[in-house]
Amino acid sequence: MDVFTLVVWVGTIAFLVFSFAKDKMKTKQALKMAFGMGKGMLASILSIIFAIGLILTIIPPEEIAKFLGGQSVLLATIGGALLGTITLVPAFIAFPLVGTLVGAGVSVIPSVAFLTTLTMVGVVTFPLEKKEFGAKFTAVRNSLSFLFAIVIALVMGVII
Amino acid sequence: MTILKKVKENLFLAIVALVYIAMFIINPTMGAASVKNSGYYIKEMLMIMPVIFILTALLDMWVPKEKIMRYLGKEAKAKGVFLSFVVGSISAGPIYAAFPMCVMLHKKGASIRNIIIILSSWAVIKVPMLLNEAKFLGPKFMAIRWVLTVIAITIFSWIAAKIIKDEDLPGEVLTQPGLHINRDACMGCTLCAKNYPEVFEMENKKAVTKPYEGLDLDMDKLESAIKSCPVKAISYNEGGEI
Repeated sequence: MDVFTLVVWVGTIAFLVFSFAKDKMKTKQALKMAFGMGKGMLASILSIIFAIGLILTIIPPEEIAKFLGGQSVLLATIGGALLGTITLVPAFIAFPLVGTLVGAGVSVIPSVAFLTTLTMVGVVTFPLEKKEFGAKFTAVRNSLSFLFAIVIALVMGVII
Repeated sequence: MTILKKVKENLFLAIVALVYIAMFIINPTMGAASVKNSGYYIKEMLMIMPVIFILTALLDMWVPKEKIMRYLGKEAKAKGVFLSFVVGSISAGPIYAAFPMCVMLHKKGASIRNIIIILSSWAVIKVPMLLNEAKFLGPKFMAIRWVLTVIAITIFSWIAAKIIKDEDLPGEVLTQPGLHINRDACMGCTLCAKNYPEVFEMENKKAVTKPYEGLDLDMDKLESAIKSCPVKAISYNEGGEI
């Protein structure tokens, strides 16, 4: 286990002990909730991971890097943003995945665009959002999020 | 539950399993390589996922969300913006779990801008997720993306509030007296069924109400079940007051 994960574990356990000392009932509820959330997502997480394993075997990260390297940055970024919009990958799988891709030489800019639209823009959740907030709200929020995801990615490419 | 129903519910899993079987028949080396590739992510996930879920649940439980939400009205300018970021960053659950909560907040007077901030920060800047991002992409990467995202959300929520008016949101739907569960919001955490098993149960990973007519509702237990719901999907409408 790397130092970083270790720190997160130690911090969380400390928080848990503190929480338990302060309010047993509340802590138990929190743990039940965490367990319930994890159990509910496990099947879909495992299938996504196995699908990723499959895709990365058929198209190795180096190939993806080579292919994207041949494209213009702007095009690759819009492509990354579009891909993030239509896919539903939990963020904690997306980070190690993007880590692999960046490690293999994929440029940071499309990767950031992908990460941002992945969580902020949702084609899959669009009908749900429309039902609750109406078409105008949903369309405006999602399109602004998409545009700004590309802006964030481009600015990040300049800074890093 | 019949096998067919189970397959239907986990259609994606079934497809992935089928592709793997086909792969092992056609090209065993590539099949083995795929399993090995997946193994890396499973290992990484198992190391970080339990803490992320626990941390998320603890934050959700300890930060006094109800108190914060009182300050989200239109008059609370900078403070409202700041608090909206806080609410979004510490809440548990996927983004669709935020929808019903934000609708409720809007009815209680929260501005369009603050709702958009909550939704967007709920999606991208969760505290436990930031730790995960720093682990795989480095603290510098995480910090820069975080700062840029906060700036971007601040700007585009302002633009959005100029375009969208309060009237653009669907009006309140009159609800029948009794208990209601917003099934779209429910994320299957099972807390309500554990808190008040006489009234709530789980069906297909979502909470449903059992027939409770004629049952003497224990209001304390009911209230604790409603309060415990992390996405505020349960509502109780006492009869005769609509």
